[in-house]
Amino acid sequence: MTGMRFLAFSLAALLPCLAAGPDADKGRTMGDPAAPMLFEIYSDFSCPGCKHLHEAVLPAIVLDYVKTGKAYLISREFPLNIPDHKYSRPAAAFAVAAARIGKYQTVSDALFRNQQAWASSGKVWETVAAVLTPEERKKVQALASDPAVLADVQRDVDRGTQSMLTLPRIQTPTLMITYRLRQHPWTQFTDYSLLRGYIDALLKK
Amino acid sequence: MPFSKSKIFKIAVIVLRVALGCGFLYAGYLKLSEPWQLFAADIAAYEVVPMWVAKLVAHTLPWFEVLLGLLLIAGRWFRTSTAIVSLLLLFFVGLMVHAKVGGKDISCGCFGSGEPISWRTFVRDGSMLAVSLFLAAMAFRNRRKPA
Repeated sequence: MTGMRFLAFSLAALLPCLAAGPDADKGRTMGDPAAPMLFEIYSDFSCPGCKHLHEAVLPAIVLDYVKTGKAYLISREFPLNIPDHKYSRPAAAFAVAAARIGKYQTVSDALFRNQQAWASSGKVWETVAAVLTPEERKKVQALASDPAVLADVQRDVDRGTQSMLTLPRIQTPTLMITYRLRQHPWTQFTDYSLLRGYIDALLKK
Repeated sequence: MPFSKSKIFKIAVIVLRVALGCGFLYAGYLKLSEPWQLFAADIAAYEVVPMWVAKLVAHTLPWFEVLLGLLLIAGRWFRTSTAIVSLLLLFFVGLMVHAKVGGKDISCGCFGSGEPISWRTFVRDGSMLAVSLFLAAMAFRNRRKPA
């Protein structure tokens, strides 16, 4: 009986690490992997709502929950398969490739900052290259076509599709909060106080 | 002992009143059992009220639903409660139609979070509306009739 209890406690303690999984590239994570909550942000670099989340809400999330050790954050790629977002997948591949050399934040900041420009012109690489050194450019360009990187993007999409089954529809941005073995999706980012209240309420449970 | 028609009618009214009351009680309970922010997010997704109204409604409506449920089950203030429930349900169904016509795939927010608006929610809420209108009609008809 004690053994079973120990096993259950161990599994619960390991959950964030298990949920993060081996596919969670270090370059796309932030915070303490042993934090009680796991935040997975599914976003598409062409989506305006994702730009808003990245630029206006994410800094507050990081400050309130990631830096304080309450949550472990993973950025997941979710390029939507719609005509208006035809450059989303290459953008995601560049971001994941940049994560391999520790430049995910820099590249994702640039992609969201210049979203309108490259989403209409298709100049994704030019946007990414502008924030990298010549050495980094070579590495990222090579990695972006690496089957392992492309598979990483697809794995995120598959994982997100599975997680979003509980939502009325598949959408970006979605913040998947895993806490005490349960997943809590959140899609409303117009008012951060609402999200903060929700997370705090979950933590009090 | 055969039941008279009016007795069957009276029993039907009681059964429907209690069933509708339980429905409202359950809807309120489900919303109160999860963080109110979830319901506020569901209301905000309809995009018909500003966020501060969504927050206010998320705080108050579940308690109001519980109160209405209890009143229906107890059979107190029958005319007032059935009239309010009918108006509320009419408003809810109207909101769902508005969302569906506007192409919004959102949560209904009726019985807790995470239930998308679908034919199922229309049938359920539509049936509740029909029952409440029937009960309201009965309540007001009895008022006009001398006891």
